[in-house]
Amino acid sequence: MHVDSKYFDEIFDFEGEWGLPSKCGLKIIRKPGKKVVVIVTELYQDNPGSSITYGAGSLLQQICRAKGLEWQDVIYLECNPDTNSKLSFYDEEYYQTRFEMIDGQLKNPVYTQLDDNSIKELIY
Amino acid sequence: MTQIIKFKLIYPKWEKLKGQTTFNLPPHGPVVFAASLPEYVDVSFTDENVEDIDFEEECDLVGISMMLSTQVNRGWAIAAEFQKRGKKVIFGGISTMLHAEETVNHADAIFLGESEGRMEEVLDDWRHGKLKKVYNYMREQPPIESVGPARRDLYKRELYNHKGVQMVDLFHASRGCRFSCYPCAVSYLGGRIFRPRPMDRIVEELATIENNRLFVVDNSLAQNSEWEMQLFKEMIPFKKKWISHTIEDDPKILDLAAQAGAWYVYQAVFDTSDYIKERVKRYHDYGIGVEGTILLGLDNQTEDDIKKLIDFLLEIDLDLAEFTVMTPFPHTKGYDDLKRQNRIFDFNLDHYNAGQVVFQPANMSPEKLQSLYDYAWSTFYQDESQESKMMRLFTKVMLKEMEDGTWKPRDRSLANKSFGKDVVRNIELKK
Repeated sequence: MHVDSKYFDEIFDFEGEWGLPSKCGLKIIRKPGKKVVVIVTELYQDNPGSSITYGAGSLLQQICRAKGLEWQDVIYLECNPDTNSKLSFYDEEYYQTRFEMIDGQLKNPVYTQLDDNSIKELIY
Repeated sequence: MTQIIKFKLIYPKWEKLKGQTTFNLPPHGPVVFAASLPEYVDVSFTDENVEDIDFEEECDLVGISMMLSTQVNRGWAIAAEFQKRGKKVIFGGISTMLHAEETVNHADAIFLGESEGRMEEVLDDWRHGKLKKVYNYMREQPPIESVGPARRDLYKRELYNHKGVQMVDLFHASRGCRFSCYPCAVSYLGGRIFRPRPMDRIVEELATIENNRLFVVDNSLAQNSEWEMQLFKEMIPFKKKWISHTIEDDPKILDLAAQAGAWYVYQAVFDTSDYIKERVKRYHDYGIGVEGTILLGLDNQTEDDIKKLIDFLLEIDLDLAEFTVMTPFPHTKGYDDLKRQNRIFDFNLDHYNAGQVVFQPANMSPEKLQSLYDYAWSTFYQDESQESKMMRLFTKVMLKEMEDGTWKPRDRSLANKSFGKDVVRNIELKK
């Protein structure tokens, strides 16, 4: 169940739960006058550690540190890629994820599943 | 000389699923862990599912080993009892790893990861009053060669015996899993790289097991064909009869598995396809029984789908079926999806027994799913009870054992005992 590279521009190494070395796909979209869109993609069998959802706020903070971004200026999307699985729960899905900053850590994620139009608007 | 440490190792009890036949198998995790303890540790093991804990037993340190989420609350309560008595308590095992953030609040220390080669450090810290709150070896797995024979000598054998019949011994031939199954956390716990144990270590351990019946607990043996075939070849001379999870669907491998003593397998049945039907048939062609494992409540299932699936199970000649409801265990894709969709409504880990609905299903109410789960069990076993179907499988294995001379008669001295307790027989005497 390898993930098609069309979903990401690079593989991002991050520290998952309990320091577990973890990987996700990363795409950063910058458009003039708009917030930066950061898309993290779950890599399933190519991710040796925590999932992007478990990575949550910590993952966004690690990306911001590595890429020189401010979390407030980012639209953060979690992507479940289509893996051509015959099981429907491996279909493509995007969730916009918002966090609260509490004691220096991004916590309490709130997820909004995006429809096709919203995704197109943000990505293309 | 290093002073002996008295280590009390506990496996907490959990409430068994209602209406199902209860068998207490000797737990594997605690005795694998015990094998990683240095020689100067004197282990006393209590499986609370089959005996009460003596909280007053003299000991230096307490270890609580947890496999299931349904053991976690009880594990915390046990820890509190020992801590009241001034004992330090360390937690380990796979459900400690799954629920580490909560468990750390109830522990003097938690151990995350695999314990081979690590316990000397932990015990040294304890001896010097410097026990750390977290021993995190999640990212540093020990060499797989270092996994030694489990300490099965710690079992009180008579407690894993039902009316004179010894329960199977558990055994593992590998760690890690390369698959990413929707409801499963094994790739998080043991890593995504399949790590087979060296054959000489497997053979060494098999030679230590007196029991002629095993449960090979590896999540899937179908991870590497060459290794799988080698494993079965090495197992043939031992003449054990064994249960396992999926075996690769290849005639050569199925044949070797049968020669090696494959008794029956747990095979996931996820749809009503001809593939599943044929898969079950192929196991049977090699004399291997099949217990279907059926997960209910996935997002692609409607009430009608579940009913059709159960009808299908009755058609395909399964030997046994085990039904579970989707349960969002942490570090699974199922958990991620349900969490994101805010569909988990019950966070009491006592209810995470895979028989109780703790989330909002996609196509029905939680109550409907719960009733379909009950319907599945009762419908599948309506014409022949679970006990009767089990007895058929049991008879098959006894016949195989009689053929190859490995059959051992039941222990008559335990004929009136079931897992250490007296068997109550409701026999009415004629007046």
